[in-house]
Amino acid sequence: MSSIVSLRDVHVHFGASRAVDGVSVDVKPGEVLALVGESGSGKTTLIRAVQGLQPVTAGEIIYTSAAGATAGPGRGNRGVQMIFQDPTGALNPRQTIYEIVAEGLRIRKESQNEVERVGRALSRAGLRPPERFFPMYPHQISGGQRQRVVIAGAMVMEPDLLLADEPVASLDASIRGEILALMLELVGDTGLSILVVTHDLGLAWNIADRVAVMYLGRIVELGPTEQILGEPRHPYTRALLSVVPETTRMEQQILVGEIPDSRRVPVACRFHPRCPLLQSGMLPAEVASRCTTEDPGPVDRNAGSAAACWAVT
Amino acid sequence: MNRPVLSVKDLAITYHSASGPVPAVRGVTFDLAAGDSLGLAGESGCGKSTLANALLRLLPDGTITSGQVMIDGRDLFALSPGGLRAVRWTTGAIVFQGALHALNPVQTAGKQVREPMLIHQTVGSEDEARVRSRQLFERVGLPANQLDAYPHQLSGGQRQRVLIAMALACDPRLLIADEPTTALDLMVQAQVLALIAELRRESSLSLIFITHDLSVLTYVADRLAIMYAGKIVESGPSLSVFENATHPYTRALAAAFPTIGDQTSRLAPSGLAGDPPTPGALPAGCPFHPRCPLAEDRCQTAEPVLRKAGQAHRAACVLV
Ligand SMILES: Nc1ncnc2c1ncn2[C@@H]1O[C@H](COP(=O)(O)OP(=O)(O)OP(=O)(O)O)[C@@H](O)[C@H]1O
Ligand SMILES: Nc1ncnc2c1ncn2[C@@H]1O[C@H](COP(=O)(O)OP(=O)(O)OP(=O)(O)O)[C@@H](O)[C@H]1O
Ligand code: SF4
Ligand code: SF4
Ligand SMILES: [Mg+2]
Ligand SMILES: [Mg+2]
Repeated sequence: MSSIVSLRDVHVHFGASRAVDGVSVDVKPGEVLALVGESGSGKTTLIRAVQGLQPVTAGEIIYTSAAGATAGPGRGNRGVQMIFQDPTGALNPRQTIYEIVAEGLRIRKESQNEVERVGRALSRAGLRPPERFFPMYPHQISGGQRQRVVIAGAMVMEPDLLLADEPVASLDASIRGEILALMLELVGDTGLSILVVTHDLGLAWNIADRVAVMYLGRIVELGPTEQILGEPRHPYTRALLSVVPETTRMEQQILVGEIPDSRRVPVACRFHPRCPLLQSGMLPAEVASRCTTEDPGPVDRNAGSAAACWAVT
Repeated sequence: MNRPVLSVKDLAITYHSASGPVPAVRGVTFDLAAGDSLGLAGESGCGKSTLANALLRLLPDGTITSGQVMIDGRDLFALSPGGLRAVRWTTGAIVFQGALHALNPVQTAGKQVREPMLIHQTVGSEDEARVRSRQLFERVGLPANQLDAYPHQLSGGQRQRVLIAMALACDPRLLIADEPTTALDLMVQAQVLALIAELRRESSLSLIFITHDLSVLTYVADRLAIMYAGKIVESGPSLSVFENATHPYTRALAAAFPTIGDQTSRLAPSGLAGDPPTPGALPAGCPFHPRCPLAEDRCQTAEPVLRKAGQAHRAACVLV
């Protein structure tokens, strides 16, 4: 199966903290893959590793994208670009929009057709006509436009993988949709793949082809968006979905406490201390005993859909 | 209807700033009955926090207010400093926006919860305050040993519970919660929302809950008020407003939070072009007209007033 990037049993540990603890997943060409999960589940650490900003402790990240294949991971990989949550913090207030967008090209000494390429990236990000924005400074444009500038700064490198960490979390509700629509448009127009990290399951419903649910450093369920958000199988995904304010149809399963500490990952199934299914006492004894003695392991990255749970067959 | 715990009439608030007056709230009227809950939503800068802070007269000096606020039968703007102190905490208490990061880092959670009781003398002694703070911790679902914890030792969700315990310290009739779940993640948000719902079931606490996330409000609030550019542009029963939004702005806001499973929003995010107006420079006529997909010529001349749009449901749009 072709992929832009393939993660094989990736671990990122910070001392005793197992922030990412065995993640395997492929990002396919032209797809939007959403990585969802609670705070501290390792989402940001994982995409920083994909960007090459974070060394992996074990496992491999294999880039097969045209632009990235030769460059390898790290800052040198122009085929992989990242956008962050807070556009205001990401932009240098003393640089013009033109300079901000051109920066990636200048760092890489790709000065040929600079004006044309910056203009194209801005138009692509919906800032038209681009020349109007060239001399402006970040404080002269709105929050939504700032996030577009951040996106233009990534798109100017013509990446084939865009990493986005909570791209709309700091934006107003009404602007949110515009930015998400832009991301979908970029995928349609350029064949880009997007790996987007979010708490927001509505965002996944809006733009993702597939969803990977992370819990304590692992992907515990993976599959097509309609399936994961429509018929979740892993008890953690079910609980998460039940508390989305929009899903009034489900009975709420509010998990007690917060996500455990990545320095103390529970043995066997890492979700077992909070698992409502296990706690319900409805599981057959032989399944229930596995929950607390045996690790269901990471999900299979090649499976169409998969859940890391002994109760899912 | 019960006697309103809060009755707000034509409230307008104008900040003073270096670049001129900032009319942040431009005439808001609503009643809140004892035990009821009102959700306030709208984009950043529409005046939600300004309105919330005004309800306890917590605005910076030099701010100009007009209109009337009756809180538990008393005229807020006519209160003496002593009377005002009695109203804050004991009649109405507020959980400020961003307060999660504003707890005193060098005081234990327990001490911060005891302080308002001692200042307002709702308890007779330090010992009584300790007993009460223990009860409050239990009420908000915090283990008693966290009374001795410092804020940095608590998670975001736990800190939010401390803030709620603090607001409840003097047993207020009205709780104003300004974006109390915005910084929390989904599961912790659900825990805090469930806590607030439970507190309301247990007592006749009235609630004003502020957020930009409309979908959260349908869960905690009986009634919704949608603000745009310093005014309420739509109000009514929560579900009615969320599901049968009448004002084009409310519709856009509601569509921004897709219902998972609804095919019309699948791979089709919905947004609203443009930005909210700046308070000092509002467009003439309906302040929403530059962004409104349904705007007509007449929208540019007169600002529409709230009109009946259904059972207890009102909206300020010429199309109503
Ligand atoms: N530089 C670091 N040193 C030590 N621990 C770290 C470091 N970065 C992250 N961690 C830990 O790794 C775990 C995962 O953190 P990460 O930021 O990846 O989570 P996240 O899923 O992005 O959370 P959020 O939704 O809050 O952004 C957490 O327990 C965090 O405390
Ligand atoms: N102290 C102040 N002096 C001058 N202007 C102010 C002051 N506080 C707020 N404003 C302005 O008043 C308007 C309303 O602000 P307010 O904080 O009430 O909005 P909000 O709806 O709570 O927004 P958010 O969702 O971002 O919290 C904004 O334009 C803001 O910039
Ligand atoms: S393996 Fe057992 S404990 Fe883990 S999620 Fe499945 S049912 Fe719950
Ligand atoms: S009055 Fe006109 S511009 Fe304002 S919301 Fe209604 S249709 Fe839109
Ligand atoms: Mg993160
Ligand atoms: Mg506010």
